[in-house]
Parts: sequence; C-alpha cells; structure tokens
Amino acid sequence: MGSGVIVRGQFTSRHGRAPSSNNDSRPHFRRVLAGAAAGIWLVWAAADYAQVRTSLPVLLSEVAPPAIDRGLRDADPPRAPRADGSSPLRELDEPFLRGSLIVKFRPGTQTDTRRALLAQVDSTGGAPVSYAPFEVVAIDPAADPEEAARRLDVQPDVEYAQARYRVYPRFVPNDPLYSRQWNYPALDMERAWDINQGATPAITVAVLDSGVAYRAAFVRYTAQAFRLSPGGPIFRPLGPVDIPFAPAPELGGPERFVSPRDFIWDTAMPLDLDGHGTHVSGTIGQLTNNGIGVAGMAFNVRIMPVKVIAGDWDLIFGSPSVGTDDVVARGIRYAVDNGANVLNLSIGRLGPPAPALRDAMTYAVSRGAFVAVAAGNDAETGNRVERLAEFAPEIEGVVAVGGIGRDRQRAFYSNTGSYVEVVAPGGDSRVGGTEGAILQQTFDFDLVETYFRGPAQYRAPRFDAFTFEFLQGTSMATPHVAGFAALLIQQGITAPAAIEAAMKRYATDLGRSGRDDEYGHGLINPRATLRGLGLAR
Amino acid sequence: MRTGLRSPVDHEPQRHRDTERILVLTEIHHRLCASVPLWLVAVGFVAVAASPAEAQTREFMFRGFADVGSTTFTAGQSFDAVLGSDRGAVLGGGLELVLPQRVSIAMRASRFRRTGERVFVFGDQQFDLGIPVTVSIVPVQLTGGYRFDDGQRLVPYAGGGIGWHRYRETSSFAEEAENIEEVFRGFQVLGGAEIRVVPWAAAAFEVEWATVPDALGVDANSVAREFQESNLGGTTIRVKIAVGR
Repeated sequence: MGSGVIVRGQFTSRHGRAPSSNNDSRPHFRRVLAGAAAGIWLVWAAADYAQVRTSLPVLLSEVAPPAIDRGLRDADPPRAPRADGSSPLRELDEPFLRGSLIVKFRPGTQTDTRRALLAQVDSTGGAPVSYAPFEVVAIDPAADPEEAARRLDVQPDVEYAQARYRVYPRFVPNDPLYSRQWNYPALDMERAWDINQGATPAITVAVLDSGVAYRAAFVRYTAQAFRLSPGGPIFRPLGPVDIPFAPAPELGGPERFVSPRDFIWDTAMPLDLDGHGTHVSGTIGQLTNNGIGVAGMAFNVRIMPVKVIAGDWDLIFGSPSVGTDDVVARGIRYAVDNGANVLNLSIGRLGPPAPALRDAMTYAVSRGAFVAVAAGNDAETGNRVERLAEFAPEIEGVVAVGGIGRDRQRAFYSNTGSYVEVVAPGGDSRVGGTEGAILQQTFDFDLVETYFRGPAQYRAPRFDAFTFEFLQGTSMATPHVAGFAALLIQQGITAPAAIEAAMKRYATDLGRSGRDDEYGHGLINPRATLRGLGLAR
Repeated sequence: MRTGLRSPVDHEPQRHRDTERILVLTEIHHRLCASVPLWLVAVGFVAVAASPAEAQTREFMFRGFADVGSTTFTAGQSFDAVLGSDRGAVLGGGLELVLPQRVSIAMRASRFRRTGERVFVFGDQQFDLGIPVTVSIVPVQLTGGYRFDDGQRLVPYAGGGIGWHRYRETSSFAEEAENIEEVFRGFQVLGGAEIRVVPWAAAAFEVEWATVPDALGVDANSVAREFQESNLGGTTIRVKIAVGR
C-alpha cells in the first residue's frame, strides 16, 4: 500500500503482538498470559464481528487510478426504470424506520414533562442530534411509529412528532441513450451565459443527495446478503470488498468541493454509491466550455456534497442510516451552517407531512440560503402530495420545481398541485425518446447496478467509471433552478425570497394563463431574470 | 386661416398688430403640433394683449443662451433605482427672440445623460444587477414667455410651452429591440429672473417644471412600472447666460 493507506492496522498489529507461550515456569504468569491472549482474541473477534455486522467502511486509500471515461452510452439495452420507492431493495422496506421517532418539544418544556410524555409511547428517551432542533427518541421496535407520533403530536408541549420517513431520490432513470443537451437552449441559456458566465466560486451550492463523485478513494465495505424481491433469489454476501472511487472528470478538481459531509455513514466523505447525486451535480455545475462532455448551469460555483439519502449499495453495505426526514433535516442545517448559498433537494417522499423538514427549510431561508426542491414524479401513480415540496409556497425562498419535456409540456411524471411553483427541463422520454431526457455525466450504471444481472453475475460495483447518461425526473429539473439561483446570487439578487420572486416574475407562462397547478408560474427564464429591470424597458 | 410658412408680420403689414400676433401663434400651433392646448395660445395672447403701450416701443432682442442646471425627475424612485439618484445635471442652450411687447419666444435644446445599472426590485428591497444601462434625455422645447421688464436691471419673467423629449435607453447585453429610442411630447412652465451684466449679456436664474406623461412604465421590464411612475418630466433649476441684443 502506498502512503495514506489505512488497513485496519490496529487489528493486524494486535495479531502480530499476540503473546506466544513460553517456558516461563510460573503458573500464575502463564495464566495471566493465557488470559491476556484470550482477552485479546475475544476483543479482536468481537471487533471483527462488529465490523461485519455494522459494515463500517474502511478507507483503504485516498488515491485511486484515474477515472475511466466510458463516453456516451448509446448502445446499451434499456434498463429497467427505477423510480422512487420502486427499487427492488426498497420494496422490502416500510416507508419509515421502526424503533424511533422525531420529536420537537416546545421551548421551556421541563425534563420531567418530557419524560412523562415519552413514557406515553413507551419511549426510553432520546438525545439531541447535531444540526437539528429536534430529538430522535427510541420507541419499541414493535410499536407503530406513526401511531406513537400521532399520540405525541397532540400534546401541548410537543411542537411536532413524526415517524422517521425515508426520503428517496426523485428521478425516473431512462433507457440509456445519447446525443445532446436540449435543456439549455430551451432555457435560452446561451444568452443568459452572455450576462453571467456560470457564477463564480464565491457561490456554494449544496447538493443534498446520494453523495457526489468528488474524490478518489479505495474503500473497504462489507456486502451483506439480500434479496431483490420477496421470495426471490438470495444474492450471496460478498464479504469485504474494496471499492474504487474516482472524481467525476467533468465536475472538476478537489478545489471545486467544500465541506463534504455524509449523514448516511456519518463521515466527512460523502461518496456517491448511486450516481444520482453526481448527475444532479452535473446539471448544476458541470465543467463547461472546456471542450469535453456536456455543460452545466452555473459551471463556476463550488459544490458542497451532503449525503442524506442512501443508494442501493449503501443498503447492501449496511449503512447505519438510510435517509430519513431527520437525516435530511440535519443535512439542510449542516449545509446552511457551513456556508451554502443554495440547496438542491432532488429528493422527496410521499406519506404524511414532514414538519421536521419544514422546520429545516425555514431555518435555511432564515439564514439566507435559497432552496430548490423537486415537485415529485408521482403524477401517473396517484399524484400524491410530495411532502418535501408541499410547503414551498408557504416559505419565500423555497421553490418547488416541476419538470417539462423538450416540447415544453409538463412531463408525464411531474406532479401537479398547488405547490408547484415553476418548471424546468426534467426530460420526458415520451417526447423524443431517450434524448428527451437530461444528459449529464455520472457513473457507468453497468458497473454499478450489477445486481440487475442476476445472482450469478452479481459482483462488487465500481465507482470510477463514468459515462454521459440521460436521466429524467423532477430530480433533473430541480438542479436547473438551483444553478439558476446561483447565477442570480452572483448577479446581485441575494435574498432567497427575492430570488423566488424574480424567478416567478420572469417565468414564461405555460399551460393555462397565469399560475396553474401543472406549470406553476411557468418555465424559468434565466436570461430575462438576470437582465432585470431598466428604467423604461 | 393661413397655412403657409410666411410670417404675416412680414407679408401683411396692413393688419392690426394684435391680430398679427395671434396669427403668429396660430401658425406655430399648427406647424408644431395640432394638439397644443388652447391655454398655451391663450397665455401668449394674454401676454401680448397685456403689454403696456410703452413697451411696444422697445426694440427686438435676439440672443443666444447657454444654461446648466439640475433636474429632479418626477419619476424619482425609478431614476434613483436605476441611476442612483432622482436628479441629474442638464446642459442646454438655445435661441431667444424678445419682442418689443416684452414677449419672448425661445427654442431650447438640452441634454441629460447618465449611466447606472439594471436592477431588480422586491418589496422595499432593491438589488443592483451590475448590467450597465445608459439613459439620455434630449428635450427640444419651444417656450413663450413674458418679461416683467419695467426698466429695472433685474427682469423677472415667466412662460410656458411645448417640448419634444427624445428618450434613449441602452444597456449591455440588450438586443436591438430591448433598447429604446422614442420621442415623447410634454409641456413646461417656467419662471425666473434675469439680470443684465453688460449691455450685450445677461445672467438668469430659472425654475422649470415639465410634464411628459405616459412616457415610462409601459414595458413590463420597466422599473418605472414597478413604482407606477410614468412621467418623464421633472423640475429643473438652472442658471443661464444669454448673449446678444
């Protein structure tokens, strides 16, 4: 191993120093030695066992071979689309975590009162968590967390209580195809870039997502056994696997990224094990005008990777968190407290309301950060309310983003409702096929989603090979708005509420005249917004 | 009613002078703008009619003048937002004819030009966008006036007239259609006092109020629309040097 290599050194060295028996005639000394050896062995075994059970990743190396550029994927057979909550792995899960709740007590609530309230749901209590005004309290894993939350929520000393609902990426991956980016001309970005060439590194956009391919590393994980579907074949445990990571070449060097944070693995290394966050980051800030690959909206900004949702491999590797309301809320506060000007939330969930997230987004705006959040991809499957987006109209500075296709019509998946505020290109494969989606750089999914090949060919993934992939969803629309917000901040519109007002004012009205539930105020118009107002024109 | 350009004074000397004066004003009225309000004609008429008999014995006075002043714009919020101030310096000059009856007719052109930046306005917040925008206003004004000249060195005067205000606004990154060059019609009234410095030169201090309605606030990308201001006029104070006799 080269420099910087950490290979569970504590275990190796302990093993190497394990005392061997000798000819010492003193029985008590031999007993001491034997006891010590047994103790060390037990500690080692327990630690190794814990290592496997909790699957904590081990950073093997901070360097890795250069990224593999596998170009535009235009000859792959169509892959089965993945939608939020439709992942085979996720179908095994409930929409919330059992065994805990999110509770925010009103200020001034005494400790005794808190204990009494928590006792009503058989909770043994909880502890404050970082970047959060609420507590995550433990309850009986067999209890229904929604019911327990309802009981607490009506108490006068409780501001809100909710289950820990899982949050998912908001995208509908498309058949892998090729060609070019129609989305920027659709937004008149060429003329907008005349006015503002991609902002500057003074602006930081936080990508709260599945992580970002932002650095090189070799990391050792432990892959556990799993099923893709109930009753389906078991994918064997791969055991410890060394996974290579590389930074996405089209996202730039290390200076591009600030304050990385992983709330899924609770580390400062938010590696993307999915590809969603990397694709989203590309729309925000893909290197542009460098003669390589594709373009991004605000190609000079800094990116803050904040990992708040888990990809399938995070689950297979046994991540300690999977992306719940509390995790996302903490990620939002972390990003704001660490200087993010814009937050991109290409994530969401259905189910009950999310007061913890409303709280966090209100906090973000109060600290001067603009928030773009996906309106959801559920239009054809019930058009249920997207909980992260539903309170966007109530918070000036938080904008819920719907998706359109290249025909400037609402994309088939894009949610409708009173909370849709603007639309942006999210892609629509029903209009123009694969090329109707949004093209950015991300992982070569063939080397990531190896479990789709069946148990026989299933193997460890690698996150150092990149392609330009077409994806669609409001996840893809949202970073257009986040990048746009970065341009506006650079241009001088710094207040989140004013950014939202400017976006709405200059939006190109689509659909019914005026604001409507399909397109909100219309398609964002960066060029007109950046130009602002003259004296008479 | 005459329709030609010839002056009735030159070519029809047999007419009564007061009638001729009316005809002069009527000619101007028709030549310059068919819709000059009657009150303006009336002002001229009253001024001439009220001239004391002894004044009619004075000589014609023809002179040129130059002036410098400061205009406070009626659309103050809009000018302040884009140009950083609701007022600005104006340079001007023109020609003036003073009739023996203490009546003056002046043609004046001036220029205001300033560069600011485009903005976005949200509530009571304003955000400067750093995109240069240059505004120039060139009014050409025809003003009739009356001089309260009773032989004293200080001569008060007052008047009113019509103006054509060429408004030009250009900004960086603008397409041709996004710049403006238009002429708006307005009216002005003024008053001042002139002091003769030497027999052939005088200095004056003057206050003018001009109205140029419906010039601003039409376009959706206008900050004037945001502030519901539409008048391009303003109040100008200026000092003037007139040369000639």
